[in-house]
Amino acid sequence: MGKGWCLFFLFWPIAAVVSCAMAPWIGWSFPYDNAQAASNLGIRIDGLFYLILIVTAIVFVGTQAAIVYALWRGANNREERADCVHGNHKLELVWSIIPGVILLFLAIYQMNIWADFRIKKFYPEVAVKAPIAEVTARQFEWRFRYPAIGKKLQQKPQPDDLHSVNELHVPFGKPVMIQLRSDDVQHSFFLPALRIKQDALPGLQIPVWFEANKPGTYDLVCAELCGWGHYKMKAHVIVQPEEEYQEYLKTLTEQQFYDGLGKIAATENGSESEATEK
Amino acid sequence: MFAKKTNELMPEAAKPVKEALVKQFGNPFALTQFEGLPTKFGDVEGTVKTVEASGADQPLIRFQATGLADSYDKLQGLPLEWTSGKGQGHISRIKEYNFETGTIAVEKSAEIDPQPGDTFKVECVRLQFGRDLYNRHCMHCHGMSGEGTGPTSRYLNPPPRDFRLGIYKYTSTKSTSKAQEADLERTVKEGIAGTYMPSFKLLTEDEVSAIVNYVIWLSIRGETEKKLDDELFLDYSQEVYDERTSEEGGETREEVLEELKEFMELDFPDTLEFATDSVSEAWEEANEEDALVIPKMPRVPDTPESRERGRKLYLSQKTKCASCHGPQGRGNGTATQDFWTNPATNEKYKNRGLHDIWGNQLPPRDLHRGIYRGGRRPIDTYRRLAAGIKGTPMPAFGGSLSDEELWDLVNYVMSLPYDGNR
Repeated sequence: MGKGWCLFFLFWPIAAVVSCAMAPWIGWSFPYDNAQAASNLGIRIDGLFYLILIVTAIVFVGTQAAIVYALWRGANNREERADCVHGNHKLELVWSIIPGVILLFLAIYQMNIWADFRIKKFYPEVAVKAPIAEVTARQFEWRFRYPAIGKKLQQKPQPDDLHSVNELHVPFGKPVMIQLRSDDVQHSFFLPALRIKQDALPGLQIPVWFEANKPGTYDLVCAELCGWGHYKMKAHVIVQPEEEYQEYLKTLTEQQFYDGLGKIAATENGSESEATEK
Repeated sequence: MFAKKTNELMPEAAKPVKEALVKQFGNPFALTQFEGLPTKFGDVEGTVKTVEASGADQPLIRFQATGLADSYDKLQGLPLEWTSGKGQGHISRIKEYNFETGTIAVEKSAEIDPQPGDTFKVECVRLQFGRDLYNRHCMHCHGMSGEGTGPTSRYLNPPPRDFRLGIYKYTSTKSTSKAQEADLERTVKEGIAGTYMPSFKLLTEDEVSAIVNYVIWLSIRGETEKKLDDELFLDYSQEVYDERTSEEGGETREEVLEELKEFMELDFPDTLEFATDSVSEAWEEANEEDALVIPKMPRVPDTPESRERGRKLYLSQKTKCASCHGPQGRGNGTATQDFWTNPATNEKYKNRGLHDIWGNQLPPRDLHRGIYRGGRRPIDTYRRLAAGIKGTPMPAFGGSLSDEELWDLVNYVMSLPYDGNR
């Protein structure tokens, strides 16, 4: 059986390396384009991921190779007997210090990205100055509150705020920030394509910023098992050029203050077929 | 699947009711079409390409069909009507359907002998599609037949709607009308803020309309059942039967059954036809333009004066808003402290306060919360005031107040959430 085990342990590093290499082609890699994040911060986070992947891959392949070598030698050698070793101070030091150094390196190396991602002081100023919307997670939908055109988002709802559900529009070409809240339980604001994930906690208002590097429609999902309807809690984040975004806000304003008379804009967001109401 | 009331009929009376419903509507696994309903059943047409040879002992005929490629992929169980060939006019039920190969299997019978080139149509496709979506997204709250008691319903407050009364709260139609399709579509897409009805905006337009189509169909089925039950309940419920055949009642079982038999033969077909017709008609009429509530004048500018006029109206005897919603709009008016009478049973409710037609305790809305279940546009609030909220004690003021007064009230009510501490 010795050689069988050699093959067994040889199989795994090979399978791991091959599947990692194939992942982008068979759709097992990162969400969105299977490779690259849709935000610059996301690309940096991917970079971190790859770095850790490489470090762990080297360790994994190395240890597997050592196992295979040891087994192979043992299986082919009937004369030499194995020794029982009780501790080796040098060896202990080596395998404590090397991982320690690696972890310390990773901890220091990622600090910038973490700060840019999570520490408000490092957020892009333009985003902090004018939060785009308040995002309220609730079982099982995402509700959005935008300030009126030309106004700033206030802590408390205002009479001229614009409201929508499950469809967040944001302008392209600049970092945007939202204020994240939860109405009931813990939810998590997760934009897989942009590598953004932030828990929403009842009673807290948490700023989250992101910037897509391509206009488009991205999935917003809840990443915290929030109840039986968790799977339904899905929305779209639509990143669009500034003019289109302004146009959207205008339509939203029109809809929001619609008094049942006059022509409603044709682009009523598909939210109502008012064709019969003239 | 059947209403409680149907099951409380004496078995001899319940049987024909159930049979009629199954005949008219089918069951959730095999839906049936009958003509005259305002819901879309949807047909797709196909042609027989080749017929597989079948032995004498095989109960099914298999044939390959063309023309169904882009249609709904689960045709199994649906009725297939032959539109040409020997079997023309006959209906077979599809026993098997393979979407990949386009093979259909139907039961063998003397009339059905498909030949290449024969045409047929498959009925109910749209309804079936709606049912599948409903079962996936709605059923666990609203229940299999729309009775509002799905497995999750017991955890929800407010409870999910029972569709079988055909009453929907948030509509754009007059107080006596049913909901428009667009109203239900909006509810599905926007959700109902402040309740567990979430938004299903990510479904496609087509999916939403298919779900609404099915929900309306469930409503019509439920309403028809209720009408039949109401017709029979006073004479033939199990309770009445026991009373009639008790010693004081003095009737024998045979006498009651004889009377029931006579009713079933003479009156029941008409009752059934009337029930389905009146329900279908009401649904059809709701989609017509004059069912809509449309203000006669645009919104009165939202000025402090207008709000003040609205506030006076709110507190006046004319509207009595304050008796339910409270003098400050906190939803704590005096009406919430009374014991009310259930209009359906003429008995007092067990709990204090207002109740809706489904029997749930219904606190009047706290107007300061800024949560608008029926939508937050001025027109939505206008419609709540003008046409009331169906199935609830919220009355329609469209007749008693002028448009100007209604808009003043709208302005006042919509200003409350932003009104400091008042």
